[in-house]
Amino acid sequence: MIPNLIPSLDAAGLPGPPALFHVLLVSTFFLHLLFMNLTLGGTLLAAVAHRLGGGRGGDHRAVLAARLTAINTYGISLTITTGVAPLLFIQLLYQQYFYPATILLGWAWLGLLALLTLGYYAAYLYKFRGLPARGSGGGVWIAASALMFLLVAAIHVAVHLVSVQPERWAGLADGAWSVLADPSYLPRLLHFVLAGLGFAALVATWWAVRRARAGVEVELNTAIAAWAWRWVLWTTLLQVVDGFVLLVLLPQPVMRGLMLGGATTLVPLALAILLGLGLLMMAARTAEPAGQPGLVGGTLAAMLLAIAVMSVTRHQLRALYLAPFTADAAPTVVPQWGNFLLFAVLLAAGLATVACMLRRVLGSPASGAEAA
Amino acid sequence: MDYPIWDVALGGGMLMALVAIPHVIVAHFAIGGGLLIAVTETLAVRRSDFELRELARRSSLVLILVSTVFGAISGVGIWVVAGLISPAAISALIHTYVWGWAMEWVFFILEIVAALVYYATWGRISKQAHLLVGWLYVVGAYLSLVVINGIITFMLTPGEWLASRAFWDGFFNPTYWPSLVLRTGIALLMATAFMIFVALRAGVERREALLRYLGWWLVAGCVVAYAGYRWWEAVLPGTVRNLFRGAEPALAQLAATRSFALWSLTAALLLGLVVLVLAPRLARPATAAVLALAAFAFFGGYERLREGVRKPFLIHSHLFSNGLLLSAIPELNESGVAAHSGWVARGGEDGASLGRALFRAQCASCHTLDGYQSIRRALPSRADLAALAAAEGPEAAERAFRAECAACHAEVGAQEMQGMLPSAEEMGQDPEMMAELNRGMIAATLLELRDMGEAFTAAPHGAMVDTAPLFAPYMPPFVGTDRELEALADHLASLDRGAEPTPARQGGL
Repeated sequence: MIPNLIPSLDAAGLPGPPALFHVLLVSTFFLHLLFMNLTLGGTLLAAVAHRLGGGRGGDHRAVLAARLTAINTYGISLTITTGVAPLLFIQLLYQQYFYPATILLGWAWLGLLALLTLGYYAAYLYKFRGLPARGSGGGVWIAASALMFLLVAAIHVAVHLVSVQPERWAGLADGAWSVLADPSYLPRLLHFVLAGLGFAALVATWWAVRRARAGVEVELNTAIAAWAWRWVLWTTLLQVVDGFVLLVLLPQPVMRGLMLGGATTLVPLALAILLGLGLLMMAARTAEPAGQPGLVGGTLAAMLLAIAVMSVTRHQLRALYLAPFTADAAPTVVPQWGNFLLFAVLLAAGLATVACMLRRVLGSPASGAEAA
Repeated sequence: MDYPIWDVALGGGMLMALVAIPHVIVAHFAIGGGLLIAVTETLAVRRSDFELRELARRSSLVLILVSTVFGAISGVGIWVVAGLISPAAISALIHTYVWGWAMEWVFFILEIVAALVYYATWGRISKQAHLLVGWLYVVGAYLSLVVINGIITFMLTPGEWLASRAFWDGFFNPTYWPSLVLRTGIALLMATAFMIFVALRAGVERREALLRYLGWWLVAGCVVAYAGYRWWEAVLPGTVRNLFRGAEPALAQLAATRSFALWSLTAALLLGLVVLVLAPRLARPATAAVLALAAFAFFGGYERLREGVRKPFLIHSHLFSNGLLLSAIPELNESGVAAHSGWVARGGEDGASLGRALFRAQCASCHTLDGYQSIRRALPSRADLAALAAAEGPEAAERAFRAECAACHAEVGAQEMQGMLPSAEEMGQDPEMMAELNRGMIAATLLELRDMGEAFTAAPHGAMVDTAPLFAPYMPPFVGTDRELEALADHLASLDRGAEPTPARQGGL
C-alpha cells in the first residue's frame, strides 16, 4: 500500500468560513505582488540600467537605476510587510501542503532568509556607497541585490510547485532538486520575472512622464520614459508568449478543470489573456510615451488589473492542482466573527491612519529652520 | 508527527534560537527605540536642542537599517524555521490565533510605513508633521507588542483556554499583563543599549548630557523590567514555578538560568547608574558594549527560562514540542504512529528502518545524532556498562555511576548497581549479551516514557499538567504500539558503537 504522505488537517479547524480566508489570501497576495514586482523587477532593471549607462550619473539609464533604487530600498520593506499576510493565510488554508513543500526544500527555504537579507543590504550599499550617492560605481552591489532577489523568486516558485503536487513528494523526498526538472518550472519563474520587469518599467515610465509633463528635466525624463517603455513592450510580448506556454504545459486534469470550470475560471482567464494582448497593443502604439501621458496612465491601470486577475487565476490553478486531494478533506469551521470584525475595523482604521499620515506629510513641506 | 522531517545538523532548537534571539532583541529595540526617538525629538523641538535632534535623527537611521530590514526578515524567519522544525506546532498556533496575527499585521503596516516616512522626511517636512509620524510609529510598534504578547504568553500559560478554547481566554492569560510590563522594560533597555553608541558620537560638549539622559531611560527600563519579571514569576502556576524555584527545583539548570538573568539585569542597572548617570565621562564604546551585553544577557536568560519551563510543551498541557497533541496519545498508543503518518509508514515494516522513522517523527525535533542534544550521548551504551563494571574502588564506581547511570537509577547505589551487572570479564567474553542488556535498558526507558503519556492523559481536563513528578519532566511521552516501541529500541540500540571512541560532533539522523 502506498502511504498517504499528506498530513491531516489541523484539529483546531478554521476560525471562519474558508471562502473568507481565500478572499483574504488572494487580496493580500495581490497587494504583495505589487511591491514584489517593484522589488524584483526594479532591482533587475536597475542593475541592467546601471550597466548600460556605464555606471555614471550623466546617462539617463544610470539616473533611472538611481531612481529605482531610491524607491526600492523602501519598496523591499513593504514587500516583506505585505508578504506577511498571504504567508499567514496560506499556512492557515494549505498547512498540509505548504509545510511539507518547505520541508522537502528545507535548506533552500531557509536560505531565503539569508538571500533576502543580503539582497536588501546590498541595495542599501548601492544607495549609500554607489552611483545614487556618489555619482558612479556600486554596480556590483546592485547586481548582487538583483541576483539575490532572483534566487528568492526561484525558491518561491519551486516551493509552490512542490506544494501543489503531493503525488511527487515521495520522489522529491529522495532528491528535492528534481523539482527544477519540472517542465513548467522555468516558464513559471520567467512569468514572475517578466511581470516584475514589465511592472517596474511601467512605473518608471509613468513617473518620468509625470516629471517631464511638470517641466522637470524634460529631456532626461523623456529619455528615461522612452527607454523604460521599450522594456514594457518587450517584456509584455515575452509574457504573452510565456503565458501560453504555461497554459499548454498544465497537466491535463488541471487544464480540463480550468476550461470546464464555467464562468468562475474562464472569465478571469479570458480577461487575463485579453489584458495581456491589450497591454501589448498599447505598448506598441508609441515609441515616445512622454507625449502620451493618457496612454501611459491607461497602460498602468490595465497592468494593475492584469495582476489582480492573474492573482485570481493563480489561486484557482492551485485549487485545481490540489482538487484530487482536497475533495474529501473539509476543514472544521469554528467561526470567530467578533475577532474578524475587530480585524476588519482595525484594518480600516490602520489604512485610514496611514493615508492621513501620508496626506499630512505631503501637505507639510518645509525647509531650513522650519523643517524637522 | 505526520509531516516530513527536516534534518538539520545543529538541531531545530538551536536553529530557532539563532533566528529568534536576534529577532527579539531587534524587535524590542524597534519598540523602545521608537518611543525614545519620539520623546527625544519632542524634547528637541520644545527646547530647540540641536544635539537632541541629532540623537533622534541618527538613531532613526539605525532603526530603519536594523528594524525594518533585519527585524522584518527575521520575524518572517521565525515562521520559516518553525514551519521547518515544528510544522504541526506552528500550524496549531496559527489556526488558534490567526486573527491575532492578522491584527498585528495591521499594526506592523503602520509601524513600517511610519518608520520609512519618518526617516525619509528629516529636514523635508514641518516639525509638527514629523513628530506626528514619529508618535504614530510608537503607537503601531507598541500595539504590535500588545498583540504578539498575548500569543507568546498563551503558549506557556494558556489558562482558561484549556477548558473553554475561547480566543480571549487564551489571549488574556495569567502571564499576559506581567509579561507586557516586563517586555516594555526590556524594550527600553534594548533601545538605550543601542542608542548609547549613537550618543557617543555626539559633540564633546553635549555628549555627557545625552549619555545621562539615556542613563535615566536605562534605569527606568531596568526597574520596569525587574518589576515585570517578579510579577511574572509570582503569577506563574505553582507547578511551573517549582520547576526552577525552591530548595530543590526539578530543573536545576533553569534555576541557574534565572540567577544568571537577574544578575545580568543587576549588572546592567549598576553599569547604567555609574557609567551613564553618575560619571558619563567614563563612557566608552567598550563600556557601552559591556552594558549592552548585560542587557542582552538578561533578556536572553529570561527567554531561555520561559522556553525552558514550557518544556515539553509548545502549548502547555495541549501540544508537545514534537507536534503531538496531548489528546491524541491514547489513539496513537492503540493504533500506532505509522497508521497516522505516511512519512513514518514510508520507513518500512522492518524494525530498524521503522525505528529510524519513529525517531525522526518523535525525537528529532529536539535530538540530533551527535550534535546538539545528541541522542547517542543521552543513551546508555555498552561502553558505559563496561566502565562501571571495570571501576575499581568505591570512588571510581561512584564516579562512573554518577556519569552513566544515576540519571535513571538514582534510587540504586553505585555498588549495588555494580553488583547487578556482569563482571568486566564476562562482558568482554559475551558482546551479544552486552548488546541485549543495553537494548533492554533502552526499551525499559521507552516503556517509562510511554507510561508517562498515561500520566498526561490522566491529568484533570482543562488544568495545567504538573510535569515535575514525571519520569522525565522535560520530555514528551513516547507514543506507539508495542511493535513500534520495539522498533525504536532496535534503532536506538543500533546507534551504540560499542567500544568505539565517541565520534566527532556531527549532525544528521
